[in-house]
Amino acid sequence: MATEESERFDQVDWNDLSRSGRFDLSINSLGMLLTTLPLALLGVYDWQFTGRRTPTFEFIGLDRGLETIDFFFIFTLLLAFWYLVVPLYQNPRMTRYYWKEFKRNRPAVVSLGWLAIVFVGGLFGPLIMDPPQQELLIAYQPPVFTSVVDTTPATCVGEVVSGQCQGTWQHPLGTTQGGKDVFTMIVYGMTISMQIAFITTTIVAVIGVTFGTLSAYAGGWVDEVMMRFVDIILSFPTFLMFLLILYIYGGGLGMFIVVFSLFAWGGMARYVRSKSLSISEEEFIKASRISGASTYQVIRGHVVPNAASSIITNLTLLIPGFLLFEAQLAFLGIGDSAVPSWGQLISAGRSDLSFAPWIVLAPGIVLFLTILAFNFLGDALLDALNPEAEAENA
Amino acid sequence: MTEPLLSVRDLKKHYPIRKGIFNRQVGAARAVDGISFDIAPGETLGLVGESGCGKSTAASSVIHLEEPTSGEVIFNGNGREGATRDPDGTHPNDVTAFDDDELMEFRRGAQMIFQDPSSSFDPRMSVGNAVGELLKVHGMSDRHRRRAIVEDLLERVGLSANDFDRYPHEFSGGQKQRIALARALVLNPDLIIADEPVSALDVSIQAEILSLIDDFQEEFGLSLLFISHDMSVIRQICDRVAVMYLGEIVEIGPVEEIFTDPQHPYTEALLSSIPTPDPRASVGGIELKGTVPSPTNPPSGCRFHTRCHKVIQPEGVEVDQDDWRGLLNFRDNVNAGEVDVEQVRENVAAGGTDPTESEVRAEIRREFDISETVDDPDLERTLSEALDLLIEGESERAGTVLSDAITTPCAQRQPDRTVHAPDHESACLRHEGRAAAEPSPADD
Repeated sequence: MATEESERFDQVDWNDLSRSGRFDLSINSLGMLLTTLPLALLGVYDWQFTGRRTPTFEFIGLDRGLETIDFFFIFTLLLAFWYLVVPLYQNPRMTRYYWKEFKRNRPAVVSLGWLAIVFVGGLFGPLIMDPPQQELLIAYQPPVFTSVVDTTPATCVGEVVSGQCQGTWQHPLGTTQGGKDVFTMIVYGMTISMQIAFITTTIVAVIGVTFGTLSAYAGGWVDEVMMRFVDIILSFPTFLMFLLILYIYGGGLGMFIVVFSLFAWGGMARYVRSKSLSISEEEFIKASRISGASTYQVIRGHVVPNAASSIITNLTLLIPGFLLFEAQLAFLGIGDSAVPSWGQLISAGRSDLSFAPWIVLAPGIVLFLTILAFNFLGDALLDALNPEAEAENA
Repeated sequence: MTEPLLSVRDLKKHYPIRKGIFNRQVGAARAVDGISFDIAPGETLGLVGESGCGKSTAASSVIHLEEPTSGEVIFNGNGREGATRDPDGTHPNDVTAFDDDELMEFRRGAQMIFQDPSSSFDPRMSVGNAVGELLKVHGMSDRHRRRAIVEDLLERVGLSANDFDRYPHEFSGGQKQRIALARALVLNPDLIIADEPVSALDVSIQAEILSLIDDFQEEFGLSLLFISHDMSVIRQICDRVAVMYLGEIVEIGPVEEIFTDPQHPYTEALLSSIPTPDPRASVGGIELKGTVPSPTNPPSGCRFHTRCHKVIQPEGVEVDQDDWRGLLNFRDNVNAGEVDVEQVRENVAAGGTDPTESEVRAEIRREFDISETVDDPDLERTLSEALDLLIEGESERAGTVLSDAITTPCAQRQPDRTVHAPDHESACLRHEGRAAAEPSPADD
């Protein structure tokens, strides 16, 4: 028997091939599996074998703990890497095409840059920067290049010029009433914002896409029941629900993310359903079915990828809502005060607004820019990934 | 007789029409209503007919994209040759009764090319992966081998191996149709169903694609079910032709016989629609009046009788054939309440004169191509009476009068298939009395 397998279509022994197993894992799934496994093991170890207050990495002498939400965050990062970044690398032609379309929108490119800064800062900032410390002696330091009346800070870190305390590079964005460095707190807040963005997106996308495609493909009364359930989800008073849970169980950031994303996928499901219905009418779906592909293979291979552009756009426009909502809750004092989010920082500085406005302004501006960036990005993605627009250009 | 590769027996596909809150079935659109044909190994059968006559539905039922309502599709390819009927009358090779594994195998034996090259490829999948998808689905997990096979095949259909990574929007319609051919071929099937594969292309590209299909057919002994509404394309590529009208096959036979000696009036009408390059040739254009009837409520008897130019006159009647056709149309329109006397009057008045009754009558006759006096005195009397009633505004009574007097055998009896030459059959009442088609061997 020749070792070289024939490479002509009419010389394939199908009976032989189809008898062999159909177990065929893509590189992406394999990578995902291999990277999730250590994470899961670490999670189990953290949960079962270390004490409640013991940091996760004590066994290698690191004083760093991972919360449940951190595990989830890393998991969603892995998902994004293996199923978003790697495919872009695998399909360079398509990537180049999208980038060419995307590039035309300048504000969106700037937005992408800003979001990259927030992402990298949120990911690595807390690893290289110590958490902000309470130091009452250096409270109310002004940001660099600005100055306040000498009497505002307890002691001025920088120079005092004619009764004005000058800001220093030691605290580039000043300090709070507790003497915490505002810049450090903003970087720590980036982590929170990224966690909110990634985890809610994943939950909404997974439930919404699954529900939407299932509903579209099941049809009949199943479809009817599923869509009426979506109506219920959409008309549910999520905020009241959140308050209720807050009073009964107490709420943290994790609770916020879970409750709000569990009630936010309704629109996505509806959208994906209508999109799937229109895609499944296309001739290439027929072609795929004639090839013998199962319904799952058709949905996974053709329907979801073709709906993906709209799904991604939709998600990008969903994130700002979550970020704003978290900030609002924190400002009202119903957030988790232990979480160093931007909203908490704004809320902490509101009583000092008259003489130390930077405590509110710095995180406020960062929050504003981030939300603006997400909106710009969403708009640009809508244009770049839109299949109809693509057909016109082709 | 050698065993056919594909033999379709009395295939029906009805789409239920449901209404009301309980989704009660109130009727059915009979898109395909009992068609039968055979395709021998290596043969090309053309399926021709107007838009909406059920050609594409027939294709998707044969290839089991849609579950047929009833009938058999017997596929003897894929090493299933020589099977005989089971004692209970079912055939082991009946695709409509295949289980999942057998269906998967059938997919390797029969593939399809679609009409619209722009929508038959996933815009987000490179064409190489689109072709290779079939290999993957059927268990070839070796990515490099898939790539090698697809690249080889792309070259064979006239593209280059580098095109593997390109996306559908980077190709022209003709190139996409070449890729579609590659996709249909990649599993090395015995049968390819081509649903109007060239109707979306330029004429020059059409010829290229057709000759490419021809080459592959010769090299790999493919059978082809070629669907088209274009008679000249059919003549170029097919060995045999089946002419479809409103869900039924009205004539089937070898392509040369059909073109030189068409038996069914509908085939004649289709053939007369082919433009001839000779400017001096007499234009034998047979114009089919009216629209294709709805398949939800097909005409009784012969389905073509509402539009047939050779519709039969009852015994004892002998009038000009055009008059007869006009009379039937007139009867149908009056019954449908579609003759608007006021409108006719206005049309006549537009000529400048105040319309008299006789002018209105003449105008109605002209509209239906009925000459000033019909040869048959009885019919002439009926017609005048109906026209009077119509002008008086009693269109319902006019309809009754016409329906009573004007009848054609075509509307009453369904024609059987008659044989004209070996392998050439048609279904028209005018040929009754000749030898009836003997039941085909697969029927017993």
